[in-house]
Amino acid sequence: MAAVLGLIIGVVIGVFVQPDIPVWVQPYLPIMVVAALDALLGAARAYFERRFSDRVFIISFFANVITATLLVLLGNQLGVGSQLQTAVIVVLGIRIFSNVSAIRRFIFRS
Amino acid sequence: MRMAGMRRDGRDGRRNGGETRDDTVTRMKAHVEAEERNDDLATGSFPQVGRAGNGKRSLAGSGLRAKLLSSTLVVLMCALLGFGYMTQINNTQSTYETLSEDELVRLINETSNQAQLLEQRKNELSSQLSSLKAAADQREQAEKIAKQNEETSGIISGRLPAQGEGVVITITRGTKQNIDAASLFTLIEELRNAGAEVISVGDVRVVTSTSITADADGNLICDGVTLDTPYMIRAIGNPADLQNAVNIAGGIGSRLKVMYGSRVTVTQSDDVTIDAVRDPATYKYAKAAQ
Repeated sequence: MAAVLGLIIGVVIGVFVQPDIPVWVQPYLPIMVVAALDALLGAARAYFERRFSDRVFIISFFANVITATLLVLLGNQLGVGSQLQTAVIVVLGIRIFSNVSAIRRFIFRS
Repeated sequence: MRMAGMRRDGRDGRRNGGETRDDTVTRMKAHVEAEERNDDLATGSFPQVGRAGNGKRSLAGSGLRAKLLSSTLVVLMCALLGFGYMTQINNTQSTYETLSEDELVRLINETSNQAQLLEQRKNELSSQLSSLKAAADQREQAEKIAKQNEETSGIISGRLPAQGEGVVITITRGTKQNIDAASLFTLIEELRNAGAEVISVGDVRVVTSTSITADADGNLICDGVTLDTPYMIRAIGNPADLQNAVNIAGGIGSRLKVMYGSRVTVTQSDDVTIDAVRDPATYKYAKAAQ
């Protein structure tokens, strides 16, 4: 409930505020968003498994975001930024898929 | 993140104390399973490490405050996520990083085409603007000239009253004989030669078509108006020149005195006003040559 509420609030703020994000953040923002999405889905899955812990959620949220950002930063410094970005996106995508399938199993019991 | 195979804590942990042994065995089995999965080398598998603690742990124990705090944090982070998402969406629309090379080339072509078109349009518009400006200048010039012309031609054609320094000439009736039209006309011609700009005889403005005739009784008629004696002739021009033109020895002034016995007075004045005007003539045949 709180998560859905927070999402709605954030989207509404994002629609109405539309800030100018700094140039140095621009390559990392999509990665951050995907990582946070993964954390959110992981939390949803934990919620369905009745072992949701806000502490774990918060830590995993920030850990995901920071790790993804650092990875891309590292890739940029090594000259393989776009490849590493793709790698991070692929891994996060796989995780999102596995989380979603787990959630699906909880919802449909199959 | 937590992965599959971790369900042992949530539900099973609530069993009674009597089943602790079974619980322990189940837990050990699960642990072994997890270990085996960790050693799996298949693609897409991730190591899973069992948590050391007791499963559910909250930030600040339990209670309403803790729930409120955790809810707030979750709301905040989800808001952060939503905000980042929308920002990124807004941002993606304006960046070209995600576009492919073909799209970028097409975009550049389109943009340069548009720029060319706009440049062309700009040139057209600026040439139009300059021509309009020139036209406006010409028009202004023409208006200025027309105004000057109007004044000049108005004075020449007798449409406008005139004023300036000049002379007033009074000619009394001739004692020897009536003054004939030719003499009066000569006087007017003399005044013109002396540089008179505007002349009036009595109440008649003298223009190019002015004629002076005499009727059977010897009265002078100027443009259909019978002139009364003494004849008043006003002329605007250099007063000294005009006076000289009339009073010169052997001139028209002395001739009027000698031949007709009339008295001719020439008065110089700084302010001769000629109010007599003449309607502009409408020309039937003559047209201005372009």
